[in-house]
Amino acid sequence: MQTPSSSAVAVGLVASRLLLATATSATDYLIHDHQLSSPLTSFRNLQEGIYLFNHGINPYSGGVFRHSPLYLSLFATVLPSSKTFASILWTFCDVVGAWALVKIWHARQNVSSTPRDGLIAASYLLNPYLVLPSLALSTSSLENTLTLLSVMFAAQGRASAALLLMAVQFHLSLSTLILIPPLLMLLISTPASSLALPKPFTGSTNRLPALIIEFTAYALGLTAASTLVCNGFSWVPQTWGATLTLPDLTPNPGLWWYFFTEMFDHFRDFFLMVFSVHLLIYVAPVCVKFQYDPLFATFVLAGVLGIFKAYPTLSDPGLFISMISLFPEIYPHLRHPLVTALLHLHAALLLPLFHQLWLMQGTGNANFFYASTLVFACGNGAALIDCVRAGLRLAIGKEVEGMVVIQE
Amino acid sequence: MDRLLAKFRAPKTGNPHLVRIQRRDKIIALVTARLRLIVALLFIAGYAWMLILPTIPTETTDKIDENALLPAQINTQWNWDEVHAADRYLDQLEHLRDTNASSAERALYLQTEFLKLGLDASTQSYTFSTVVGDSTGVNAYALLAAPRTPGAEAIIISASWQSRTGEGDGTLNLRGVATVLSMASFVRRYSHWAKDLVFVVSDGYLDGMQAWLSAYHGVSQPNLLADNLDIATSVVWVALNVDYPGHSFSHLGIFHEGLNGRLPNQDLLRSFRRISRQTGGSPVILYDHIDNRDNHKSLGMLGSMLPSWLQTPILSIPQVRKYIYHASNVLQHANYQARGIGSGTHALFHKYRIDAFTMYALPATGPHGFHTLGKVLESTLRTANNMLERLHASLFFYMLTSSDFSLKIGMFLPSVICVSVAMMFHGLGIWTSAGWTQIAATATELEKSKIVVARRIRPTLPVLAIMAMTHAVGAVLFYLVNTSAIATSSFRQVLVGLVIATLPMVLSANPKVASAQQDEDTQATVAVTLKALNICLASTVISILSVLNFSLAASLAVLLGVTLCIPIPSGSSAKWVAYVAYSALGLGWLAIPGEVERMVWGWQMLGVWTCPIVCMIYTPLVLQAVIVCKLT
Repeated sequence: MQTPSSSAVAVGLVASRLLLATATSATDYLIHDHQLSSPLTSFRNLQEGIYLFNHGINPYSGGVFRHSPLYLSLFATVLPSSKTFASILWTFCDVVGAWALVKIWHARQNVSSTPRDGLIAASYLLNPYLVLPSLALSTSSLENTLTLLSVMFAAQGRASAALLLMAVQFHLSLSTLILIPPLLMLLISTPASSLALPKPFTGSTNRLPALIIEFTAYALGLTAASTLVCNGFSWVPQTWGATLTLPDLTPNPGLWWYFFTEMFDHFRDFFLMVFSVHLLIYVAPVCVKFQYDPLFATFVLAGVLGIFKAYPTLSDPGLFISMISLFPEIYPHLRHPLVTALLHLHAALLLPLFHQLWLMQGTGNANFFYASTLVFACGNGAALIDCVRAGLRLAIGKEVEGMVVIQE
Repeated sequence: MDRLLAKFRAPKTGNPHLVRIQRRDKIIALVTARLRLIVALLFIAGYAWMLILPTIPTETTDKIDENALLPAQINTQWNWDEVHAADRYLDQLEHLRDTNASSAERALYLQTEFLKLGLDASTQSYTFSTVVGDSTGVNAYALLAAPRTPGAEAIIISASWQSRTGEGDGTLNLRGVATVLSMASFVRRYSHWAKDLVFVVSDGYLDGMQAWLSAYHGVSQPNLLADNLDIATSVVWVALNVDYPGHSFSHLGIFHEGLNGRLPNQDLLRSFRRISRQTGGSPVILYDHIDNRDNHKSLGMLGSMLPSWLQTPILSIPQVRKYIYHASNVLQHANYQARGIGSGTHALFHKYRIDAFTMYALPATGPHGFHTLGKVLESTLRTANNMLERLHASLFFYMLTSSDFSLKIGMFLPSVICVSVAMMFHGLGIWTSAGWTQIAATATELEKSKIVVARRIRPTLPVLAIMAMTHAVGAVLFYLVNTSAIATSSFRQVLVGLVIATLPMVLSANPKVASAQQDEDTQATVAVTLKALNICLASTVISILSVLNFSLAASLAVLLGVTLCIPIPSGSSAKWVAYVAYSALGLGWLAIPGEVERMVWGWQMLGVWTCPIVCMIYTPLVLQAVIVCKLT
């Protein structure tokens, strides 16, 4: 089958997206949805913060606004915060994200164009987990774009751009911190696929200190800028602090909120620590195991973020699912793709249904929605485990009749 | 048990990995070799469970979960004076009926009467336009502001002008309206109301209340032109709908199914049952099904379906008679819930999170009348008045098998889930086996008996495209039946059905699809892959729907369960029979007289999902089976 060129696919999709975002009332329907935007990414909260800011009130003094001061300064000065403009900006960011994904694919294959480009762009632009949050103007869409751009620059070896964008992304969403180690590895090695030929890490580690210093400088610079914008450090507990202390228990498709509504208060600090540290424990093993393919390590850790981060929206697992298109070499080794797809289908239908039963119709309760988030986590977990397994299995080569691969 | 464990236990010696792998293979082989059996057992379990639903030992409806309700704890004040007032209202209503008064005249009369009582009263006129016909009318309503509180909540007492008898065929609900008027004059004498009381007499059967509720909640509907309400009050928690079409009544019937299969909180129904028995002295039944177990001549439709020579011996067994009575209730419930249109005017309230039901005075020559109904209504109002918060305990998922017994969700949901799981296993089984092929034995003479299997790819993307296409055809079908040209002409409906039934033939003639079928050694056929994914998708739809609308999911499980899973016959004439049978299953509803009209009316007027679900999910799923049939 002949694939249409990537530009034709992109133009068609972008036009329909723009039409959906601006000409229909989809945004008004979706903007309140808990699954598409969390308290940390909601566009309405952002607008409220800007309003307070423009009226000389510190937006971080209340408990509503939890966006980074970078958003605040950007939307309060350069960009208008109207919904129509935002729809266009969000669509544009998704296009950039899709473009970055295609560029990462090019860097991995070391070519300038392939017949799969259209498919990869479509996997980003047509992924419902990414389209819907973007229509709901969740800032998680912008953060996904930033992550992809940063990975793209890292894959192309442009260190400063990659580190700057990662520092911005670190400011916008603290959990992205765990993507920095594989990104640094990617910067000092190559994005080419070595899944089939594992070898010890070959990157030039002596560049590492300089890169870490550069990243720290960017992060500190942005911190200083944020502090200037807010005239103090009041933003820290409201933005980074919120990720770590979970003050807002609005339901979302992640795994944190329900635990902390049920938790005894005197265990809260302990479990906050456990949940936060839990995210970190994946970094070292994944980076060590996939040292020969840091791009794959980045992909796996993006999957971990999609399942376990605090305040996720659908676009976090969505990023992982779209990134699967970058690794066609693992497809033959996937063990249960249909089961994973069906789990996702079930979760994608159950999440809005139980959300509706609990919060709109009033016949269900929180346990219903929580159950559906567990199904969703199972679907994401199945996808992640299958991808990791396929990535490891690839190195062993073709299956031989009568032989079985085992792990010691 | 020990023998079973010994089967899997590792022997003392040997490579532990080898043992582990052998054990794993053994377990997998144990399941896969018996997959057909497991699927068949799950199907049988699911369908058998559905059949025994009416006899499952159930919990009684005596217990009230919400303590604040305190049903049947008051001395009622409703007395013969009120009955007399109701009779006088009835005289005037009958006069209006006999003089063929228009909607506006009737509403004006009702408004005047409400105003005479000192209540705030007003009218609301409305016009609905749907492709299957327009309807207009005028509602009348009145408000008694709560004397004791600022009135943050409200209770609605309503009666529609037309009774639910015959579902709006013109039987009037005059005594129901008279009861509401008389109740309005009665309640204003007391100061113990903590909720605003709203009295609504809606015009027509369902249309009037739909217009009134939309206006009350500020919901606009493109095909509805309705006045805004002059008087609107607070959040409505409970609505009691009175339906009294006859001269007297013998039983009070409960009708509770709402739009799209929603049910009210069961505490409300349980309270009503207790009040009616203890305060009113009237027996309570489910729907209009009298518990006629003493008289085996009238056991309803189910009893009369038996051949006559069997009736006497079989029906003399008490268990059979009980089963038939409960089964008729369950079937009626499934009918109301699966169609999604609900069982009366109360159905419209549930959408706005109002717990509502209809108390239906079953027409009879006696012994009850206004006196009983008024007492029951008064006491139920007082119970609803006692509520401190919305009814919220998880008593929303249940199935009443009679007014005395109900099934919890855990007792009926597994039946559909069993069928859905069976389908899922079957679909996954087909999918897995489609990924392998037997290579012709090219081996040496030594290995002649050994079958060599090899992996092959499955054409997933083309199959997904075909599935998406059938759903797109479903969307077109949905658009078409919602146009006036199709919705009102049964000839054109059949024509549309026939055109859609030919689409699979057109598709299979497509050279791309035909070419994808060749070379079975390297690629599974489109038909097998499509069949696997079709069954998996149908299973998903059924299990998800089962939480939302159990009866609809059960209907789909009955219609699609085995029918999608049975293998396509191999003979060419048998294949054509299957083709026609599947097409009839998927599109036959277009040929049922009045069915399309009913569904379109429900969708356009009330927002019932049956029409979109049938057009865009059910029909495409069966169409996929037709395509499988054509491609095999």
